[in-house]
Amino acid sequence: MILIVDDKQENLYSLKALLRLNLYEVDTAASGEEALKRILKNEYELIILDVQMPGMDGYEVAETITGYSRSKDIPIIFLSAVNIDKRFITKGYTSGGVDYVTKPFDPDILLLKVKTFTRLYRQTKELNDIRETLEQKVEERTRELVQANRELEISNGELQQYAFIASHDLQEPLRKIITFSRLVMERFIENIPDAYQYMNKVIMSAERMRNLINDLLSYSRLSDTPRFNSCNLNLVLQETMADLEVVVKEKEAVLHISELPMIEAIPDQMRQLFQNLISNALKFSRKDTAPMIKIWAELTDEPSFEGTTAPTGLYCRIYIADNGIGFDEMYLEKIFQMFQRLHGKGEYDGTGIGLTIVKKIIQQHNGLITAGSREGEGATFIMLLPVKQSVIVQTEPLG
Amino acid sequence: MVKTTFLLVDDDADDTALFEEVLEQVDPSIGFRVATNGQEALEMLRSDSEALPDIIFLDLNMPRMDGRQCLAELQQDDRLKQIPVIMYTTSSQPRDITQALQNGALCYITKPANLRDLEEIISVIAGNAHSGLTEALKRLSTSVPACIVS
Repeated sequence: MILIVDDKQENLYSLKALLRLNLYEVDTAASGEEALKRILKNEYELIILDVQMPGMDGYEVAETITGYSRSKDIPIIFLSAVNIDKRFITKGYTSGGVDYVTKPFDPDILLLKVKTFTRLYRQTKELNDIRETLEQKVEERTRELVQANRELEISNGELQQYAFIASHDLQEPLRKIITFSRLVMERFIENIPDAYQYMNKVIMSAERMRNLINDLLSYSRLSDTPRFNSCNLNLVLQETMADLEVVVKEKEAVLHISELPMIEAIPDQMRQLFQNLISNALKFSRKDTAPMIKIWAELTDEPSFEGTTAPTGLYCRIYIADNGIGFDEMYLEKIFQMFQRLHGKGEYDGTGIGLTIVKKIIQQHNGLITAGSREGEGATFIMLLPVKQSVIVQTEPLG
Repeated sequence: MVKTTFLLVDDDADDTALFEEVLEQVDPSIGFRVATNGQEALEMLRSDSEALPDIIFLDLNMPRMDGRQCLAELQQDDRLKQIPVIMYTTSSQPRDITQALQNGALCYITKPANLRDLEEIISVIAGNAHSGLTEALKRLSTSVPACIVS
């Protein structure tokens, strides 16, 4: 709707007729005061304002209109027969008008101006509406994200709580099952072969479950914030081999370990990584052949599993190769997934978490892991790790 | 020779019974007292009716007052902090272990599921209760993985 403000009825009448004829809705006010009242009540797309009026003149009305937040964007066209001097026109613009038309005016040109300004007003209004909706939506989404984040933090805390429950409340009864089964076995049924066998199965199952719980716990602990230290992998590997001494002897395994470089790592996690990979190499050995395990490393500038070596490279490739039963490479993805096993429990025991832990450790160290193998022909695990963790900050993280 | 006494602070009746049984086998002359939580242990130790125990075995998770708080209270008491404290608990969480060893426990033992390990642990501690306990525990920790010293 368009508002015409003029103190002369005849002016109001002729302008109103012209606009109505061109299908505009029109409202009129005979004074500045009346105009302001109407503006507060109604929505206008354009105001055509006479300059010289008794009481409030056009400039004062325009200044007031642009002062209200509700009406400040409504375009105002001044219309004057008397004040046609440059300084009046200038004052019209500074008081808030978008145009200043002097009488006598050409109706066609006035109509074109009306059309242009009303369209501009509508478009601006639409844009403002869209912007407001967008801002609201952004605000809403932000609120939702903050909320989701808070919920995640809570559920993370709950998960850690779960890890504690797993460590204590699940292990407690299990330990007792093992303790008392052993007690019964040793004290009461040593001479009853069947009962002794069955009780032994109870203990084996309980121990398997205990290993499972311990592995899950180790996995859940990996999500703590990592702290990297300069780490001598040779020492870490020595400690691991000391832990595995009994199995190595039992299996008559032969190990060839080359000098490994210093890298920035979490020593405890690296120990667990070696422990899991070497245990696997020992476990998945061929029945008729003593296990042979080779461990070596090289430095490279290329963040890939292949490519030339460089003595001062930014990345370190570690190889762990065995002569065991190997696996079909079509299962390469699968072997790193939790609880995925390629063999029945009767053939090789295990929890199906070992390699998942290895992969998680490698990820914590911003590295990559893969393996190459053929069934019956051994397997080689290759890990790519940054020598310094700060390298990763500067370049793209791997993987 | 002065009579040796162990105090076990543990709310688990099964573990207490096993501990007592094994202790009985290892050395029946050793006195054995039990408190079922930290609060009870402190009350027992602070009342002067009986002589102080030579070694305290302390569980971590107990009602009313857990082993962490009990250990802290013991360390703050000039008279009681003389008694060696050996943690004896199910938890094998690294955080629990480091915390206990930092706060004054002499040794951290994860309750073994194997009676033979328990026998070895108790006989080593019983045999060295009055001198050279720290060294004996160090040696023990190399043969029994459940036993950790700082």
